[in-house]
Amino acid sequence: MEKFLLKNIENPNSADIAEYIKTGGYKALSKALELKPSDIIDEVKRSGLRGRGGAGFPTGMKWAFAAADSKKPKFILCNADEGEPGTFKDRPILEKNPHLLIEGMIISGYALQAEYGYIYLRGEYPEAKDILEDAIKQAHDKGYLGDDVLGKGIRFYLHVHQGAGAYICGEETALIESLEGRRGQPRIKPPFPVNEGFLSKPTVVNNVETLANIPYIMEIGAEAYSKLGSPDCPGPKLYSVSGHVKMPGVYELPMGTTLREIIYTHCGGIRDGKKLKAVIPGGISTPILPPEKIDCPMDFVSMPKHGSMLGSGAVIVFDETVDLVKVCLRAMKFFEHESCGKCTPCREGVGWLRAIIERIYNGSGTEKDIDLLLEVSKNITGKTFCPLGDGAAGVVQGFIKDFRHEFEQHISKQVKAAA
Amino acid sequence: MITVTINGKKIQLEKPVTILKAASMAGIKIPTLCHHEALESYGGCRLCLVEIEKMPRLQTSCTQYVADGMVVWTETERVVEARKAMLEFLLINHPLDCPYCDKAGECELQDLVVKYGPSTGRFAEGKRTHPESYDDPIIVRNMDRCILCARCVRMCDKVQCASDISITNRSSKSFVEPFSGGRYNCEYCGNCLTVCPVGAIMSRMHKHAYRPWLIEKEVDTVCSFCGVGCSVVLQVRGNSIVRAVPKTGKGLNKGLLCNRGRFGYDYVSSPVRLDSPLIRRDGKLQRATWSEAFIYIAGELKRIKETYGGSSIAGIASGRCTNEDNYVFQKFMRVVLGSNNIDSAAGFAYAPAQKFFERIFGQGVTANSIHGISNSDGILVIGGDPTSVNPVLGLQIRSAHQKNIPVVTIGYMPGLKRFATNRLIPSPFAETALLAALVSELKSKRRLSDEKAAFARDINTIIENIPPVSLNEAGDVCRISPSDINNTVDAISNMTNPSIIIGRDILQRSEGHTNLLLLAALIYLLNGRIYLLSELPNEQGLVDMGCLPDMLPGVRPLAVDSFRRRYDEFFGVEVASEPGMSIVEMIDGANSNKIKALYVMCEDIVFNIPNSRYVKEALSKSELLVVQDIFMTETAQLADVVLPSLSWAEKEGSYTNLERRMQMLKKAVDGKGMEDWQAIAEISRMLGFDMNYRSPKDVMAEIARVSPLHKDIAYDDIVGDGFMWPYKGEPLRHGMSIEGIDIPDAKSLLKISDNDKIYAGMENPLFYSENLSRNSSALSSISPEPYARIGKALATKLSIIDGDYVNISADAGSIELSARVDSDLPENIVLIPNNFGDKGIFNVMNWKINPVIKSFVLDCTEVVIKKIKSAAEEVLA
Repeated sequence: MEKFLLKNIENPNSADIAEYIKTGGYKALSKALELKPSDIIDEVKRSGLRGRGGAGFPTGMKWAFAAADSKKPKFILCNADEGEPGTFKDRPILEKNPHLLIEGMIISGYALQAEYGYIYLRGEYPEAKDILEDAIKQAHDKGYLGDDVLGKGIRFYLHVHQGAGAYICGEETALIESLEGRRGQPRIKPPFPVNEGFLSKPTVVNNVETLANIPYIMEIGAEAYSKLGSPDCPGPKLYSVSGHVKMPGVYELPMGTTLREIIYTHCGGIRDGKKLKAVIPGGISTPILPPEKIDCPMDFVSMPKHGSMLGSGAVIVFDETVDLVKVCLRAMKFFEHESCGKCTPCREGVGWLRAIIERIYNGSGTEKDIDLLLEVSKNITGKTFCPLGDGAAGVVQGFIKDFRHEFEQHISKQVKAAA
Repeated sequence: MITVTINGKKIQLEKPVTILKAASMAGIKIPTLCHHEALESYGGCRLCLVEIEKMPRLQTSCTQYVADGMVVWTETERVVEARKAMLEFLLINHPLDCPYCDKAGECELQDLVVKYGPSTGRFAEGKRTHPESYDDPIIVRNMDRCILCARCVRMCDKVQCASDISITNRSSKSFVEPFSGGRYNCEYCGNCLTVCPVGAIMSRMHKHAYRPWLIEKEVDTVCSFCGVGCSVVLQVRGNSIVRAVPKTGKGLNKGLLCNRGRFGYDYVSSPVRLDSPLIRRDGKLQRATWSEAFIYIAGELKRIKETYGGSSIAGIASGRCTNEDNYVFQKFMRVVLGSNNIDSAAGFAYAPAQKFFERIFGQGVTANSIHGISNSDGILVIGGDPTSVNPVLGLQIRSAHQKNIPVVTIGYMPGLKRFATNRLIPSPFAETALLAALVSELKSKRRLSDEKAAFARDINTIIENIPPVSLNEAGDVCRISPSDINNTVDAISNMTNPSIIIGRDILQRSEGHTNLLLLAALIYLLNGRIYLLSELPNEQGLVDMGCLPDMLPGVRPLAVDSFRRRYDEFFGVEVASEPGMSIVEMIDGANSNKIKALYVMCEDIVFNIPNSRYVKEALSKSELLVVQDIFMTETAQLADVVLPSLSWAEKEGSYTNLERRMQMLKKAVDGKGMEDWQAIAEISRMLGFDMNYRSPKDVMAEIARVSPLHKDIAYDDIVGDGFMWPYKGEPLRHGMSIEGIDIPDAKSLLKISDNDKIYAGMENPLFYSENLSRNSSALSSISPEPYARIGKALATKLSIIDGDYVNISADAGSIELSARVDSDLPENIVLIPNNFGDKGIFNVMNWKINPVIKSFVLDCTEVVIKKIKSAAEEVLA
């Protein structure tokens, strides 16, 4: 398949506006500005584009909600707080193809009649900040941004805001709180950001990859776009593959490519001739899968049917040498550290899960501890304020569901040693 | 109409509310922790999860609104399990130190765990620990106990609007802290204490001193500090007050208190309270019996009255005393001693301002509900910072700002800095030009109505005749940009019924009377509601009880024959028709030997009147000085006889607040003094005039007969949130006249202050309220150091930085203070508070009398400031 999101990625000057324009960049914008804003929203709706941040919400519908709200001004925010462990799919866009994102945001801004856009960038991407700011300046100088976009009498300004290293700020309402200068904690929904978001005004928060798809839809049209990839969630998808494969990296493939194809065809299979033990398909908060399940298509619709989720499309591959209890412990340490502390089950429960797993890993666990893990995670599931706690509990449940024996081995090994 | 079914019970609702609210309306209790009725929903504790049919997840009932046809279950197995799980989670990091924790017995977590929680915990690892913080003098934080419900933070951010505390850190390592990390740098309202459900934030004042179940009685009473009159509950054990707490959601303060109301009560049990009458013998005040003291006072008063006449005697009443005390006091002065020389601290500004506005607009024009402030469509504040003078009233302004109601402040008001849409800080004492410009501009924007009422015609005439002042002229005089003034004009001209909040500073100027007239014009043009800031809990009561040189009880002018005759007939004594002296005239009168005897009831005039040296000299010239007080004040030290009186917690009676709401004081503990009215009645009896009251109730019965304003009021009618104006009485709505009101000339509107001179101004600090607060160790510990506030420009000119020690001198005296530099303060003024005895402003400040309104004029003190040493030099020395 021809690459769109990662076009020019091999070109060392790909972040430069001249290179971008040379390969057809900002043409989609010109095309979009010929349309009425509502037509763009219809086009995105018809394309079937779903949000690439992990939840897979239909983008066009989100835009339509915000457009329907009569409050003004409206805002478009780009969620570039790419913090899910295993995920690095947005980084190549931010660092190598920033103008694609900028072009996507200008089109979104025009469609929503928003004059201000903000890119909320994760604090750990300092290079991306410089690159984006340079790119914004270039776009400004060329007249794509500013008081009079392409001489059409439209205003659009774009700013980069750097996060301070909190995973929770990838949750859209926490992102907005943080952008407003407050402690990053999720807000009560409803009201949803599309009605009361940034500064209590209608706000659309879209993932980097989602916005980067917008110029493509403008370019090839909703009709053609909707035929790419899986029928229910079309388009190209970036998969960031890490772990024990021969060629880890970010791959642009049609949505719905199977895990097997990603691992064995594109990434060259498991390195050092080892056997595959497990895969986390969509970032650390998606349930882990055993090798038997890798024939599932990687899209928003198919993955839940196979017991996991597409998430951010961050594939983490483990070979036979890996101690999955250790992986689970590491994941829990992450979730405990990143719990914002607002709601009881996540703040207290996730730390408890970590403590039990740590006990098992260190060899002082008992058989009962596995049941306790399941019970505590059950007490978290469905009761937290935002999906972060649910995600953490789901990870433990996923590990125990398919790899309970690994936990039992840790416990019995210790029992034997004691004997 | 919305129909929702909760636990099988059908509930009809007019509009959508949260499930929690709907359930409580139906009498169904859903346990909560982070929810608090004074705060917005948070959804953090997850204790109030309920099951809703057709919704797969459990929902928090505090955030989920009901919808028509919704079916909710609050006690299903799933809900009960979830609730138990949440409590188990909460106990993971909670120390369970209940046997040692002061909160045990009234701890919400404890109660919930007992009722709904698991009986044992399964958490085996170590708990989070966080050392208890004693960094603050009156608030102790124990973050081990914190359950992170964020009630305190939300209270601080959204209600008190102080934003001084925050949740720090993430996950279970989170805890609540002031931004300093140690001491609070806040307003010490203590409202965070009210809402803390566990023992995480508590007052140090009663730490380990009680257990909630040992509290013997709770007394619903009114706060003793300012004119707002917040409801407060005194919790008593033995004969001591253990705590002062608000009534949740009750009273005009709706469960809020300020630092003074919450922590200031400890003056009641101060070890330096007076406990015996004292008579000056051999130049020294010595203990005496009550009867000795009464005989002495009665004898001296008799002698002085017979020798020099009644008008040589003056009496000063008190806004700390009850209506009953003050009524009896003025009766004693007028009827027994034959003197109209009665005044009080209300005469400094509150009474003259009210008198002026009532003369134009009618009686009761300032009796407006404090809650109306946050519901008006605009607010104009001038002459004092409400957040320090009347803190709970100030919160109304902050709340209005949150509702996007425009707030215009004129003058230096640090407490409203972040809450003003238009903030004008004129150069010292130059408000007159600014007010005149606002009137001129509004006059052209709002057509004067040609109303039928005579007073409307009158005031229209006044407004027409006020000389026009342009924005540029006002800008020059006030040193404010004309465009800022213009923006303010735009802001206020859109208001249709604004709240106009007026502090005493605006009167205490050479042009105080002009300022009042201009304000009256503004109020008329804007259709404004007037609020007068009041520093004393019964300042309004002083006015209403007739403790004024020219007014009889019920605020009836002494000069009107019919009112006087009514009073004469009632008591069978003819009252002089000549008005008496105002409080400031009394001091001059004592100094010039016109006043031979001064009877002071619970007022520290040496301390509360500028130029303390002069006041002391004047008082020592009098032949008799009688002081009733609870402390050995600076005034009492000069007295010939001192009578110990009772504090507000030790007696009964009524207070009238600045809304003219009458509320009841209830006795909480026993004191060693005598009620003020009772002491006066005893002396009166010795002078041959029987006052046969058995209790304040009898006094009130007489008030109801004498004062037309309080007609038919019964002592027992004053219950709950009090009795609101206009009671059942007869306010004077007629007889308003503008006769004798002088129209200012253009020159007096545009007086330019000399930029080369530095003036002394008075600061009203939040932690201080008259004498009482000086004797509260809690309040003194919050702000123990005297200081001088100096503008940034002046500080730079004199190379003074924050913390430097400066000498401030004037004709009246000089003091040394540490400097606080503030960029908002105009260049040629230095502000000094008066709560530090010999380091207070009144040691340097001088005063004059405004001949028109008889109030203080305090804009006449030039000072010289010199830097003495830096903060470091002070420490090293």
